[in-house]
Amino acid sequence: MSGEQGHTLDIDSVTHRYGPVTAVADVSLAVRAGEIVALLGPSGCGKTTLLRVVAGFVRQSAGSVRIDGKAIDHLPANLRNVGIVFQSYALFPHMTVAHNVAYGLQARGVPRGDVRRAVERFLEVVRLTDFRDRLPRQLSGGQQQRVAVARALAVAPTVMLLDEPFSALDKGLRLDMQIEIKRLQRQFGLTAILVTHDQDEAMSVADRIAVMNHGRVEQFDTPIAVYDRPATLFVSGFIGTTNLLRGRALESANGTTLVELEAGAKLTVPTDRAFAAGAAVMLSARPEQLRLHAEAAAGRWRVHRRLAVPLGPNTMHDLETRDGVTLKLVEPRLGPSVEPTGDAWCGLRPDARPGLFDIATST
Amino acid sequence: MRAKDLSYSVVIGLLAGLGFLILIGPVVIVLLTSFTQGRSIRFPPSGLSLQWYQLLFDSVRSSQIHRAALNSLEVAVVAMVGATVLATLASVALARRSGTWVRALDTFFMSPLILPMLAFGLAALMYFTFMGFRPSLALIAIGHVVVVAPLALRTTSASMSQLDPALLESSASLGASWLYTFRRVTLPVIAPGIAAGAFLAFVGSLDNVPISLFLAGPRSDMLPIRMWGMMESTLDVRVAAVSGVLIATVLVLMLVMERVVGLTRRLRD
Repeated sequence: MSGEQGHTLDIDSVTHRYGPVTAVADVSLAVRAGEIVALLGPSGCGKTTLLRVVAGFVRQSAGSVRIDGKAIDHLPANLRNVGIVFQSYALFPHMTVAHNVAYGLQARGVPRGDVRRAVERFLEVVRLTDFRDRLPRQLSGGQQQRVAVARALAVAPTVMLLDEPFSALDKGLRLDMQIEIKRLQRQFGLTAILVTHDQDEAMSVADRIAVMNHGRVEQFDTPIAVYDRPATLFVSGFIGTTNLLRGRALESANGTTLVELEAGAKLTVPTDRAFAAGAAVMLSARPEQLRLHAEAAAGRWRVHRRLAVPLGPNTMHDLETRDGVTLKLVEPRLGPSVEPTGDAWCGLRPDARPGLFDIATST
Repeated sequence: MRAKDLSYSVVIGLLAGLGFLILIGPVVIVLLTSFTQGRSIRFPPSGLSLQWYQLLFDSVRSSQIHRAALNSLEVAVVAMVGATVLATLASVALARRSGTWVRALDTFFMSPLILPMLAFGLAALMYFTFMGFRPSLALIAIGHVVVVAPLALRTTSASMSQLDPALLESSASLGASWLYTFRRVTLPVIAPGIAAGAFLAFVGSLDNVPISLFLAGPRSDMLPIRMWGMMESTLDVRVAAVSGVLIATVLVLMLVMERVVGLTRRLRD
């Protein structure tokens, strides 16, 4: 009686314009059955619009949405069988928990006995059986969210849409709910889309992440791939912390590129593609990809150490290059080997694979 | 700093006191006068008694007043129902939409609030007469609907604009049709606003003079007009007693509404 096996969701060249503004620009995503995909990006990147297109609240300007290969574009929201959990939970304030959960089935004219059984089952699934007669306002944020999830699950949706569902929760509860949602999604084999601006949330919940910016998908890959091998400069800056160093490509050969940094060093970095000699590039290195040295050597550039902050087992160094760029560097705290402040040399860790991106020469 | 705070409190306190006096004073005076032992409307009352209330509730000697009061009640109920239904439909149609047409319609529906009521009363009389109708309670009720509907529309559209659109979207994504959503989500959620609007419409109709003045005929005497007539001709103290009853009724209704729907909160929005 519920969607125990997942359904595929295909978003095919979807474009949506609000007047002159293009909110979603030619986005295609193939979501596999039982997969949870995060749409991650800053506010205004089009992720919410895309979700509303799938839900049927917004009719896209162009493109198509298919569930199990069948186009649903012509269907109004109430015939799509797509579940949604809002940031505000949007529980019906005048109905008890049980009535909220029963609502979708009642709206579909399901016989009373079946409704009752389904309500019992899904209240149990979200462990709220004892709260069945409470009103939403008598529940905590986490409980309200579980009601919203049970309400959406009860109608056995083909696809579950989660619109920033955790952002109204405080930090401790957020992690619990992320685990809970992930558990339920696995249990029911649900295909789900999670809209979020929080990269940690996307990382921990999603099987794959679509990083969006200006209405486009910049990268669609697993969390680890998105973090380790960002496809664009935007992704490298948006996901995790990164240090950006301006430079020029000197030559590319055999999967490596020799770069001259404006910070004052020449170094060879592994790259997937060749860069034109003399091209302006941006090197994007994670704090843990950098290393501090006491002496100068090839591939190292001089930095001024402004501050060192202990972060658990690591030390986070706040550095400044000769040309005034601020760098963050994290390394394991192995005794007081280096002076906490003063000058030092910074280089890449030998195994580091930083991002290297073309930038427009005018900037 | 402290002196400044003090003078601020004193000024605000005085202003509040003045407002209180102006608002409450007349009510108190009318109430006290209605309990007078004397034979004329005069303040302070000469001794206290219930004689004017006894006279007022005497079904023989005050039959005309009773007739007028029943007429007024009947019209107020009809006007309240009519105005509430129209206001609810209008607010549902106009809520959260923008555009020239929507704004124009909204202003149009609210316009009876600004329109001079006497002018509208005269116009309504001419209009209905032209169409061949004789003055009657039904015409008065129609006239009242026009002028009290904006009162109901204000509180109802305030509730509509506070209705979280995500509720409607959730309902739709759960498979509910528009009508089902309206019945089970929209209506219950905005019900307090509708109730507050209905109350305002009822009271607005109950003591409306300008429309009734023009549309009342010999067989459709209305309470406020009868009261005015009594004041003019005989200075009848029963007018004060009627006021007392009206004030008490509205007060009780208000307390009930405050309990049930939080009236003052609805009116502030």
